[in-house]
Amino acid sequence: MKSLWNFFNSVKLAIFLLIIITLASILGTLISQNRSLDEYVARFGQWGNLFNRLQITKLYQSSWFIALLCLFALNIIVCTLTRLAPKLRKAFHPKVEIEAKKISVLKIKEKFKKNIGLDTAKKELKKELRSRHYRLKEVKKESKTFLLARKRILGWFGSDVVHLGILIILAGGIISGAGRFRKDLILSEGDIRGLPKADFKVRLDKFETEYYPNGSVKDWKSTLTVLEKEEPILSKVIEVNHPLSYKGFVFYQSSYGWNWTNLSVGIWVRKRKDPTFLRKTEMKVGERVWLEGENIQISVLHFIPDFVINDRNEVTSRSLQPNNPAAFIEGWQEDEKIFSGWIFSKFPDFARIHSEKETDLSFELKNFKAGQFSVIQAAKDPGVNFIWAGCTFLMIGLALAFYWPTREIKVILEENQGKTEVIAGGIASKSREALQSEFEKIMNSLRRSR
Amino acid sequence: MNESLLFLAAFIFYIISAFYYFSFLFSKRENLARIGYKFAFLGLIIHTVALILRTFESGHAPFTNMYESLSFLAWSSILAYIIIELKYKIKRAGLYFLLIVIALMALASSPLMPKEATPLVPALQSYWLWLHVSVTLLGEAFFAIAFITSIMYLVADSKKNKGIKSGLPPEKLDSVSYRCIAVGFPLFTLGGLVFGMVWAYYAWGRFWSWDPKETWSLITWFFFALYLHTRIVMGWKGRRSAYVAIIGFLAALITYFGVNYLLAGLHSYA
Repeated sequence: MKSLWNFFNSVKLAIFLLIIITLASILGTLISQNRSLDEYVARFGQWGNLFNRLQITKLYQSSWFIALLCLFALNIIVCTLTRLAPKLRKAFHPKVEIEAKKISVLKIKEKFKKNIGLDTAKKELKKELRSRHYRLKEVKKESKTFLLARKRILGWFGSDVVHLGILIILAGGIISGAGRFRKDLILSEGDIRGLPKADFKVRLDKFETEYYPNGSVKDWKSTLTVLEKEEPILSKVIEVNHPLSYKGFVFYQSSYGWNWTNLSVGIWVRKRKDPTFLRKTEMKVGERVWLEGENIQISVLHFIPDFVINDRNEVTSRSLQPNNPAAFIEGWQEDEKIFSGWIFSKFPDFARIHSEKETDLSFELKNFKAGQFSVIQAAKDPGVNFIWAGCTFLMIGLALAFYWPTREIKVILEENQGKTEVIAGGIASKSREALQSEFEKIMNSLRRSR
Repeated sequence: MNESLLFLAAFIFYIISAFYYFSFLFSKRENLARIGYKFAFLGLIIHTVALILRTFESGHAPFTNMYESLSFLAWSSILAYIIIELKYKIKRAGLYFLLIVIALMALASSPLMPKEATPLVPALQSYWLWLHVSVTLLGEAFFAIAFITSIMYLVADSKKNKGIKSGLPPEKLDSVSYRCIAVGFPLFTLGGLVFGMVWAYYAWGRFWSWDPKETWSLITWFFFALYLHTRIVMGWKGRRSAYVAIIGFLAALITYFGVNYLLAGLHSYA
């Protein structure tokens, strides 16, 4: 048990683990993570299988990486605890009595005789130290008086607070990894959805996409209402960066999509030889409409938001986004089909219309009206509060460690024939120069006193 | 006055400043370094105005694409140098540091960098953009100074071993490197990791996703944690410490540049 403790009580082990974890993290950025086995085999050949077996393909979630992190955490705990005990003793039960020898080896020190009695000298010194926010401890022994003046003692514990913060963050990460819930809710306006282990439901009241003048997306806004027992509790417009939190669940605007099942398509019909001829028609998929003033009916048989022809020569949609909208239209004269073919909204000249009969008509897929649905990510992360607490400790600890250096001034006063001999020294955990100048000022004020 | 003209003016001031620092290295006239410092300071002021104008023109924080971000990194680097020089007097590092700044400015003005301000995508519309990016880049600027002083340390140290006297004593360079990291490390931790996690949580619903940029910023942080522990606990100083600081800065460089161009991920915008 003791040897195990000693094993983990090693800064060298900490450095070794830190290097290993760093190298592993680098490896994880060089091999793209969480792809399918086929992709790895295609990319790395036989190595792909090996990577998969060694869990390099999901390195940061792999058992060996998490084991490394746990070892590291244990290492931090043991190292911190071992060093904490003597620090606590030093902070709360310091040794005030000190040999003059120990002061003489300090880098900041002074030794002089002053023409006043010990009590006066002590009073002066204490006044000066107190005005500089030092806390004092005093011990009298025989003819000597020992003074221990300290300030910013918390600075000693900066690194411990940092380590505590890191441990809390690691714990938060583990809790989050084990207990995190995340689900994408695909909601059209009016939809109500419940969540497992939640005693409430959410309803999407409204979803809108805002655009910049150049056509790029400015924002997605979903108006969400929380319902408890069918009663609305609260409503909030959520957008990216502004989620809704309710009872531990957080709802994020995550994505959006088009509802292609119930849409209407706008088609403009022109005549090649007659520039003044223009008929604007609008129809649902499958519906037949009369072309005004002509003895022709047209209909849209299919609508494809992202038209592409795959390797098997089939027409299909590459995605659900309207990247290349296309419509398959038909023209009818009484019961005779006179033409059919694809028209494209982004490539009007690319229309492929097969005519059974000569026709002068040309068609443009001008617009379409489809409902949009909002994708809301519902998440519950029991680790997240640990993360914020850990981050707070981390930052407080760093501030203490770097910018709250502990200062100690140790003084021995001894009266000798009406004169007082002063032996004093200073120790700073950081920025010794600053203590040096303060120390000099304190000593000079004692020298000047009468 | 528009932003790009001011940017150019700041660029020219930095070049003039570098020129004075260069002459200082050869003539050893302190006065030249002082003029160099003044030019760098004037450049910083003009650059500041340029960034403010940019903010008003675009209506958002001046670091949302590579041009803006490089310009801001150059600005924070000069700011960091002005502060460090004021406190620790390392005039001899001036030229090398200004060369880095000039490289950043040149890269920013290269025709490959689109300069027009584009409207913000939804994910970037957050005040965390200000906090996350500015604090992180300021931290990285201090790492950059530590990088320069560490290299200068290595040179000065090997000169000393050969009995040649160098301009700045190696002990001072070693201590300035440490002090820069003592400033840069808390800033980088706060801006890069803590603010990054908070923002990621609000924007993406997860505080950490092992996205390459996140991972590399953690790797950078590990290197500087290594620097601090080997130095404070194990008593490393001098050469070994300098090597760790240099590697740490290279990791920061990969985090900043490499990830955008080599590894795809969530941070695809900048």
